[in-house]
Amino acid sequence: MPATRSLGRAAVLLAALALPSGAQSRPTDGYHTAARLGTVLDSIARAKPALVKVSTLATSPGRRPVHLVRLGGAEEKPALLILAGAYGPQVSSSEVALRVVRDLARRHGSDTSITNLLAAQTIYVVPRLNPDASEAFFGALRHERKGNDAKSDDDRDHVTDEDGPDDLNGDGLITMMRVRAVDGEWIPDAVDPMLMRRADAARGERGIYKVLTEGRDNDGDERFNEDGPGGTDLSRNFANNFPWFTPGSGQHPFADAESRAVAEFVSTQQNVAAILVLGMQDNLIKPWEGRRVPGIAGNPQGTSAGGPLTAPLPEDNGWFNEVSRRFKATTGWSDGPATAADQGDPLSWAYFHMGRYAFGSRVWWPGKAPVDSAAGRRAPTPDPIADERNSYRWMRANNPAGLVEWAPANGVMIDGEQVEVGGFAPFATLNPNAAGLDSAATKHSAFVVQLAGMLPQVRVDRVRVTEVGPRVYRVSADVVNDRYLATNAAIGARSRLPLRVKVEVALGRGQTLSGGRKQAYINALRGSGGRETFEWVIIGDAGSTVTLTAGSPIAGIVTETITLRAR
Amino acid sequence: MTLMQSRSARTLVATLATALIVATPALSAAQGFPTQPPVARATQAPVAGALAALGSPPNPKVAVSWDRFYDYSGLVEISRRLAAAHPNRVKLGTIGKSTQGRDMVLLTVTNFDKGDADKKPAMYIDGNIHSNEIQGSEFSLYTAWYLAEMADRVPAVDSLLDNYTLYIVPTINPDAREHYFHRANTASSPRTGLAPRDNDGDGRVDEDNLDDLNGDGHITQMRRRNVNGRFRVSPEDPRLLIPILPGEQGEYDLLGQEGFDNDGDGQVNEDSDGGYDPNRNWPWRWAAQYVQGGADWYPGSLVETRNIMDFVIAHPNIAGAQSYHNSGGMLLRGPGVPQDEYRPQDVQVFDQIGRIGEEILPGYRYMIVWKDLYTVWGGELDWFYGARGVLTFSNELWTPFLYFYKQEQGGGGGFGGGNAQNRRYQTTESRFNRLLLMGEAMVEWTEVDHPQYGKVEVGGMKKNFGRVEPGFMLQSDAHRNMMFTLFQTSQMPLIEVDSVTTKSLGGGLTEVTAVVVNRRIAPTHTQQDVENRISRPNHITLSGGRVVAGFVIDNPISGDATEQEREPATIKIANIPGQGIVRVKWIVSGAGPFTVTADSEKGGVSSLRSR
Repeated sequence: MPATRSLGRAAVLLAALALPSGAQSRPTDGYHTAARLGTVLDSIARAKPALVKVSTLATSPGRRPVHLVRLGGAEEKPALLILAGAYGPQVSSSEVALRVVRDLARRHGSDTSITNLLAAQTIYVVPRLNPDASEAFFGALRHERKGNDAKSDDDRDHVTDEDGPDDLNGDGLITMMRVRAVDGEWIPDAVDPMLMRRADAARGERGIYKVLTEGRDNDGDERFNEDGPGGTDLSRNFANNFPWFTPGSGQHPFADAESRAVAEFVSTQQNVAAILVLGMQDNLIKPWEGRRVPGIAGNPQGTSAGGPLTAPLPEDNGWFNEVSRRFKATTGWSDGPATAADQGDPLSWAYFHMGRYAFGSRVWWPGKAPVDSAAGRRAPTPDPIADERNSYRWMRANNPAGLVEWAPANGVMIDGEQVEVGGFAPFATLNPNAAGLDSAATKHSAFVVQLAGMLPQVRVDRVRVTEVGPRVYRVSADVVNDRYLATNAAIGARSRLPLRVKVEVALGRGQTLSGGRKQAYINALRGSGGRETFEWVIIGDAGSTVTLTAGSPIAGIVTETITLRAR
Repeated sequence: MTLMQSRSARTLVATLATALIVATPALSAAQGFPTQPPVARATQAPVAGALAALGSPPNPKVAVSWDRFYDYSGLVEISRRLAAAHPNRVKLGTIGKSTQGRDMVLLTVTNFDKGDADKKPAMYIDGNIHSNEIQGSEFSLYTAWYLAEMADRVPAVDSLLDNYTLYIVPTINPDAREHYFHRANTASSPRTGLAPRDNDGDGRVDEDNLDDLNGDGHITQMRRRNVNGRFRVSPEDPRLLIPILPGEQGEYDLLGQEGFDNDGDGQVNEDSDGGYDPNRNWPWRWAAQYVQGGADWYPGSLVETRNIMDFVIAHPNIAGAQSYHNSGGMLLRGPGVPQDEYRPQDVQVFDQIGRIGEEILPGYRYMIVWKDLYTVWGGELDWFYGARGVLTFSNELWTPFLYFYKQEQGGGGGFGGGNAQNRRYQTTESRFNRLLLMGEAMVEWTEVDHPQYGKVEVGGMKKNFGRVEPGFMLQSDAHRNMMFTLFQTSQMPLIEVDSVTTKSLGGGLTEVTAVVVNRRIAPTHTQQDVENRISRPNHITLSGGRVVAGFVIDNPISGDATEQEREPATIKIANIPGQGIVRVKWIVSGAGPFTVTADSEKGGVSSLRSR
């Protein structure tokens, strides 16, 4: 797939213009190699040992640790899990996660709101799920590698990693290449001729270029760079809608240690109420639209006969919409790039398989570029290469180093034609400069605080004791969730994987339960004051006590001692 | 809690005492399972003067009694003895450790004197994925035993072991097999493996198991006398309860399986050990628990599943597989769900093998999982076929047909239909029990004290009845099932370079033509494999000259041929179909002789030299 991780459209940059050079900073400024990431996390933990714990969730095939950071007191409280860096080239997601950890740790103790938040909530952060792939960001030869260090046979020719990209023009960057060819399918765009797009035969256009990743056909199979170094793209190795037999997706879902460790963690860490994925999938700018999709033979989806759900449950729509509204208000963002497909990705897995509230942010992207109003420069509508055009124009105005102009690669020919190399610099469309990172981190930090404050939290309210007769008491109490999110999303209540709220009475000596249930469950208690009333009839001595326990790992567990006496 | 325990202890003692008094020697043998495998003593010489019966090794080096079941240590011991007695036919290994750390024992069976075991086309066999479905393990071992003991005796066995390898994993659920044997269970428990799980969502794991109230090693039913109950004694068999009809007077409540409310939540037996279905945990068409009960947390969450996947991925020579379950007399193929599709070319192969299986195993039917049984998401056979392109059956061993050699409706381990059917089926079971087992399969109703229900009666069918063969039928079913497995094995792809001919083209050039055949039913690559490029293509390589050009001959009559420009010395063939022929040719600089080698991951290796 040429160009950026193309979102359904294919286009490539062609820069014939003389671009202003002179960017002072290096593109890796502000970023941390795997080794440095570990050092920084350790130093944060050392500074606040009671608050921050860093452990190793998994070890990558390249022997790099996948860190798990835990923020909060010793007890497991209702928790938010932040998962970043599954898609290796998007190192920005990992850097934002790191900065959120650093920011919260720094403010804890001095900023009361943060101190209180982390007393009531736990925040887990996996800052870099694919450290092997992200390391290519820091290499002498920079290219957007997606796979970890496992060997893989991307082109299924039963040889592994035999045809990777090559730096034809010696600039230390793997970009794209184009070459004139009678069977080419690409043409330069009429408005921004530096961009390449597919010729549209329906409009009488004829392709004149082939566009490929920069490199040679190392294995002589007439395909270019189709099986480079690198194994599994962990953002494609999760189990929901897993793309079988697809380059980079892995042998099967959770075949790799990194992704399986996440699956095991969420399966066993019962206090995870919501999961925020910093990655290539978005549902915070454009919220998911849950709907009922008919399954096989008219059977409802989400049943054995109807098959797995392919769309979120409509009952969750209101909450996704509102969280999205709050995200946009907090970040000031109103529009962003299209979300990547939900195939084997962590975000849709978190919702459909783990039954959790799951939110996805694209973290950073080139902003809206100014419209070029010069005559004849108007892009067509609809624009088949809108995202690429915007990125190109933004890059030209804000980060010229993010563009490599098309230029002949000396002496490199394909079928007798000169090869030209150019395009977006690797990583440029996914990773901002240091200032951009800080800005994105500030926005996400604010949202994380906001989201953690939405996690469900139950309390016991309106305890009433009535003496019905001698030694006979009617006791009632409400279980209330004041926070914004329900104790289970509709998907959680459906899946029964996240635990329900349990309401349990423990009797004192000499007491008997005459009416009501010793143990009761609430599948999902909505937030914003959602309440459920429970009633018991207890026979016991006046002044004796019963203990009421209510809650779940996701919503917190509270205990109330109730004295049997007329009130 | 203490009160409950002391009560149950008293009950246990009382019941044991009763059992001792009433048990006759004939009945006592099946009261419990031996912890040490009663493998027949090798020291005892066989009685002289016997005439060998066909189909059985007359004087086996490893004597095994096939009229009983073996616990994990028994399986391991028999496996060890087989490997020790037949070092060139059976090798012992492991595919990894179970949840509780037991080895998942692997027997590799082939003629180790001929060829590399891991390069021969192979069959994979496992048993006991559901821990209560025990006889798959004995049947697996019987297969290894029969082959090893019959080698050098029956030419067809030798031919099979010369050409093929069998990878046999007798139990892929060893932890819970031990549970089934050594703890009280029903015919349908535990089914799961023993990774601890919270089945009732109360935040605790495995806290309310079945309880053996009468201490007999079996979990049977509980009933309580009640004139308002909805059951009465069957007029056909006083030991059976039947639902009352309108206007009839009830006699009993049925209170479910033996057990009490161990955790005080008002429910009985609701969170037993484990709590998932190992045959719903596979990544192909896996679906979350709210779609597919028993799926567990995520595909491959169980170490046993992962061990098998790793083994199969590391052994691309596996072309066919069978997984032994019980019960119902079914030779099942996928797909497990209607959303999936088996490729028509592959279905033809399944059909041919499955229909022969119906003939080998009377009363067994060749069926499709989702269509003829029920929907299964994330089943083992679908991963084998879908992800690896391997032709795979699940054999549901034992069928009620075998009670009286009549097709019985219902039953078969709970796959049955409505009440009337179940009643007929229960009656059949009961008649079989009386007429062929001297009543041994039934635990008579006896009264015990129940901590929550008060006085109840406990009784019903033993765990080793209804889903497994009785002893006198075990070897017969093991043998027939094995023969179905061996039939499939014998039809796995096997390629051979049939001829190599040369023709001089002048100028020092020779045209070399090779014909490569696959004489078996199965292709070297299923269509699922071809379409997804799962296994590498077959390689047909010429040596003995410098290859100028290489071709696949598309039409031997017209001579149409397609050139392979890259690496022409090794022609790559995506598939050699079952009973199919492939012709290739080369233009070679040189006069020969030339050697042509065909090398197929699933079809073996064969060479032939030109004259």
